[in-house]
Amino acid sequence: MSDAATQIQQAHGDSLWIKAFRKFRHDRVGMWSLGVVMLYAIVALGVIAGWWATDWAAVTGPKWAPASAEYWFGTNIIGQDIFARALYSTRTAFEVGFVVALGSTMLGAGLGAVAGFFSGRWIDEVVIWLMGVLDSVPFILLVAAIAYSLQGSPWAMHVAMIATFWITTARLVRGEVIKLKSLEYVEAAQAIGVSQLLIIFRHILPNTSHILLVQATISFVAAIKSEVILSFLGLGVKDGMSWGLMISESTFEVLAGFFNNFIAASVFMFGLVMAFNMFSDALQDALDPRSVKES
Amino acid sequence: MPNAAQPLLRVRDLTVEFATDQGIVRAVDSVSFDLQAGETLGLVGESGCGKTVTGLSILGLIPSPPGRVVAGSIEFMGRDLTQLGEAELRRIRGSEISMIFQEPMTALNPVFRVGSQMMDVLRLHQGLSRRQAHSAAIEMLGKVGIPLPHKRVDDYPHQLSGGMRQRVMIAMALSCNPKLLVADEPTTALDVTTQAQVLEQILSLQQEFGMAMILVTHDLGVVAETCRQAVIMYCGSIIENAAVDTMFSQPRHPYTAGLLSSIPRVREKKVAELPVIPGMVPDLLHLPPGCRFADRCAKVHDRCRAEPPPLATTENIPGKVACYDPN
Amino acid sequence: MTRTDVSGTARGAQPLLEVRGLKKYFPLRGGWLGQVQKQVKAVDGVSFTIDSGRTLGLVGESGCGKSTLGRAVLYLQPPTAGEVSIDGELLSVSDKSRLQAKRRDMQIVFQDPFASLNPRRTVAQILREPLDVHRRGTPAERRERVEELLNVVGLRANALNRYPHEFSGGQRQRIGIARALALEPKFIVADEPVSALDVSVQSQVLNLIERLQAEQGIAFLFISHDLAVIQHVSDAVAVMYLGRIVEQAPAEALYSQPRHPYTRALLSAIPVPDPQRRSRRIVLQGDLPSPVDPPLGCAFHSRCPLAVERCRVETPQLESVQNEPGHTVACFMADR
Repeated sequence: MSDAATQIQQAHGDSLWIKAFRKFRHDRVGMWSLGVVMLYAIVALGVIAGWWATDWAAVTGPKWAPASAEYWFGTNIIGQDIFARALYSTRTAFEVGFVVALGSTMLGAGLGAVAGFFSGRWIDEVVIWLMGVLDSVPFILLVAAIAYSLQGSPWAMHVAMIATFWITTARLVRGEVIKLKSLEYVEAAQAIGVSQLLIIFRHILPNTSHILLVQATISFVAAIKSEVILSFLGLGVKDGMSWGLMISESTFEVLAGFFNNFIAASVFMFGLVMAFNMFSDALQDALDPRSVKES
Repeated sequence: MPNAAQPLLRVRDLTVEFATDQGIVRAVDSVSFDLQAGETLGLVGESGCGKTVTGLSILGLIPSPPGRVVAGSIEFMGRDLTQLGEAELRRIRGSEISMIFQEPMTALNPVFRVGSQMMDVLRLHQGLSRRQAHSAAIEMLGKVGIPLPHKRVDDYPHQLSGGMRQRVMIAMALSCNPKLLVADEPTTALDVTTQAQVLEQILSLQQEFGMAMILVTHDLGVVAETCRQAVIMYCGSIIENAAVDTMFSQPRHPYTAGLLSSIPRVREKKVAELPVIPGMVPDLLHLPPGCRFADRCAKVHDRCRAEPPPLATTENIPGKVACYDPN
Repeated sequence: MTRTDVSGTARGAQPLLEVRGLKKYFPLRGGWLGQVQKQVKAVDGVSFTIDSGRTLGLVGESGCGKSTLGRAVLYLQPPTAGEVSIDGELLSVSDKSRLQAKRRDMQIVFQDPFASLNPRRTVAQILREPLDVHRRGTPAERRERVEELLNVVGLRANALNRYPHEFSGGQRQRIGIARALALEPKFIVADEPVSALDVSVQSQVLNLIERLQAEQGIAFLFISHDLAVIQHVSDAVAVMYLGRIVEQAPAEALYSQPRHPYTRALLSAIPVPDPQRRSRRIVLQGDLPSPVDPPLGCAFHSRCPLAVERCRVETPQLESVQNEPGHTVACFMADR
């Protein structure tokens, strides 16, 4: 079946990004979820700038105060403002998500591109072997091992996550690079005499940026979710506050019948993860040249 | 071509639009032509002229979220195909009107054997039993010139060459003896020598089955050798419609004339420089108000830019042309 | 193997490009240990020369190896065997820096206008890259050269900061040609440069190529499956079938007096846009044999209307045709 519609689109020569932007603008779900994510981002920025939630660690109130005008979610067992803590945790979430997304995407892109370009040769075999090995170790064990070996450094968690999340990105990039490297503009660069490393990083990798962007958003969300488990096990955030830590400290409280802490952390986290997931889906749809939106 | 008999296919004012991010594109604009039973019509033009969309809309195969038939009628044996529902259309596809496509690899399902794909068509439209369908498939493969058909019937598409796959597609398309075959660039993806083989096959089968054919192509050479009627499209509308015999010797529209002279062909003497149609095809989103060829035409008048010329016949000269000052 | 001079007239000067016994095989691995089991013989012993400023047209159908040959000549895919020399100097993979320097003299224009330009780079970046890699001139001089290149191929200066997707197929091909011209090469391999373009645009680009050759004296290896296009641009023509050249002649001789049965079939198969001239067509039977371990004897014998027993066991070599200088044919049955 001739892709008559795509042919017509192509004839009008718009770049992938402009087309994606236009498609995304019409995706209501996408736009709303982006709005929510932006809201969270502003909260996080405000925390960093010191506009709010600076008193998250202060013991100001009575133990287990119910939700009120002063304490929107009440207080926890020590008497700290739950809402302030939840706000502060937004900053932690963004920090973890951002660092891990950036790190794992860069690492995955680099290794994936090199493996794909030299596919079939030894360097590709090494990367694939590495991916296989890391994949077969259960995530928690790997993180625990890295956390232990880094002896309580606050970056142990980030490193552990990056060390596992890069694999999916690398696989996707490797596949795409294998496709791209046989395109004529790569041959043209070779005919000119451009070095192989430059070809990989200047010519091929930029053409995988749509994959990288989507993978980065997925890693962001995965990082936030993983942090919850890690903090729960005591392997996560050490100083500072996070939703994972809040949930972990709330287990005790829930047994005593006080749910506010648990609910606050869960709701906040659910909101961001859900919104980011939907944004990521919408982004993927927008970047897919073949998807057609019903108007 | 005045003909007293009722045409097999009568297309009137067919208009198809596509919704794109940047607005509505009119891929086909008020296209009208007739096709007699057993006749071959060449639908010719360059990429983007609307010929493929026209071919697809005959069978109702325009992808429907972006595309839509907004006006016109396609009368096939008296029935307007644009008014039929999907179920009715499915009954017609494959049995009364068949289509073959440009890329034989993507048109055949790679995970099914060739024979079973053919049998699907036969059993669906003619209600044959498995055994009957199997032998009918072998017979059809032989008819399209595939050697050792009883062996080839169990092959997978990737085991056959491009030319053979295309022949399998033709066999599938003709297996239920349709009255009309729409062939969308059937030989463009094939080598010249294979193209010659496949075209010959199509023509002899057409004669044997008394089938009409619409051949969508950009290759004027193929049209000259196989078609009786030629319809030239440019930017979505028909600019010339004439008998092949007269059109090639006396092209009326400047675009047709330009096309014929600028196509590289094997000549007896080399020419120093190839004649050229200057300029580019206009953007379908920003069509000029008048004749769409005006910017590239050597004979352009003011009138041409104001109002697009209608497709009309002029006295004493057969054929139709959309031009205020045809040759 | 007979070496044929492209120009047809005897020249004292050395040819610009000399190709001798070029082979390119691709190994197929299989079996338990992934050992090499068979070879795809894409190019199986090709020789020719091209003089400065002349064009050799290379014609053949898909699978004949012409594209592989083009890339092997440029050492983009180094040949399995054989020699290529430009200006008398042999190309070799062992001397990387010398090969890199030689790349200035030989460039390539591709078939697909959509895939041959990096969609993420502007026209200016695309055209500057060859100059940057080989460090030609000062940055200011490079900027000037890029503008000059655009002018030469008939594009306006406002194209510089635009991206490939903003241009039509024909314009993209011009950009590709401009890129090939950037380093002032002596030799260009044009791999089906107009096949993917609309017919009305083909003539524009062909005229451009012809003009460039006349103005700058560049030699071309023009690869195409389209005999009409080849006739228009070539001084001499070589016909390829399954990795070998089966006939080679000055352009006029090939079209008026083709000797090889494949050449004749090819010429007669072209649909002619003239309904009055329905000439007798030679329709070949059968399909192209596989280039994996091709059959013994003449590669064409399975489809040849003139084949005899000898053709099945012996491989014909290129031999000269009497009274026609520069015309060679590899066929036992061709009248010479």
